[in-house]
Amino acid sequence: MPSKDLREQLDLIRSIQPAIHVPQNWNYENPGPMYKAYMHPPHDVGGQFDVPVYYEEKEEEDWELNTYVTCEVLGWRGAWTAEERRRRADNDLGYTLYLGMPYYARWIWAAAKMLVDKKHISLAELQEKIAEVRSRYEKK
Amino acid sequence: MRRLGPGMKKSKTGHSPEKAAATGALFKVGDQVRVRDMPYMFYTRSQMYTRGVAGTIAALTYKDLIPEEEAFNFDGRIEQYYIVRFRQKDLWPGYPFDNDTLQTECPHRWLEPAKN
Repeated sequence: MPSKDLREQLDLIRSIQPAIHVPQNWNYENPGPMYKAYMHPPHDVGGQFDVPVYYEEKEEEDWELNTYVTCEVLGWRGAWTAEERRRRADNDLGYTLYLGMPYYARWIWAAAKMLVDKKHISLAELQEKIAEVRSRYEKK
Repeated sequence: MRRLGPGMKKSKTGHSPEKAAATGALFKVGDQVRVRDMPYMFYTRSQMYTRGVAGTIAALTYKDLIPEEEAFNFDGRIEQYYIVRFRQKDLWPGYPFDNDTLQTECPHRWLEPAKN
């Protein structure tokens, strides 16, 4: 395992890497390779270059285990299949959410979207329930 | 009120337009309201720049399905829509003109009474 100093140095090196930022706003056209890049499923990351990343041995937290069980039960009850879960949580999110959210946050996000899409719950109900639970926690 | 169309059904959790119709008294023209800071994942038409900002009810427009449900072909609640008038100075930091206003539309669920 690399030393703490080396990890910090690698993080520092990574942080000063230039980011290519091209302002985009519904472009009129995309050259072929760029179109193919946009079509690429975000979760298919094999073969892409990256800087060294430190992999932690991290235990699951309660919310992560609860998410896993919830998603499995939704499958058991016929709400979705494992492949639909992967399609929604890995592919449909797009790069920004896929790369930005924790692993099980993608699962619970996809489960909520599936329940709304299939009209098991309404989006207004979901948003208001989240607001209600949030205000309950803020009062504590 | 619209009827349930093919492929449209009520939520399985007992959510219904009748229940929703009882969601608080309507605002009147001139009432001070604030745009609620609600979760907005998946879909909304409530503009971010109005979130948490107080304005005045300028008009009651019509009653209709709310965007968060109609966008999913969900035959849900019917709510009152309002035109809300904001002072531009309240919306944009450093806005220079006192008398300019901006009007936009909000359904009932996104508004709460504002304390003066």
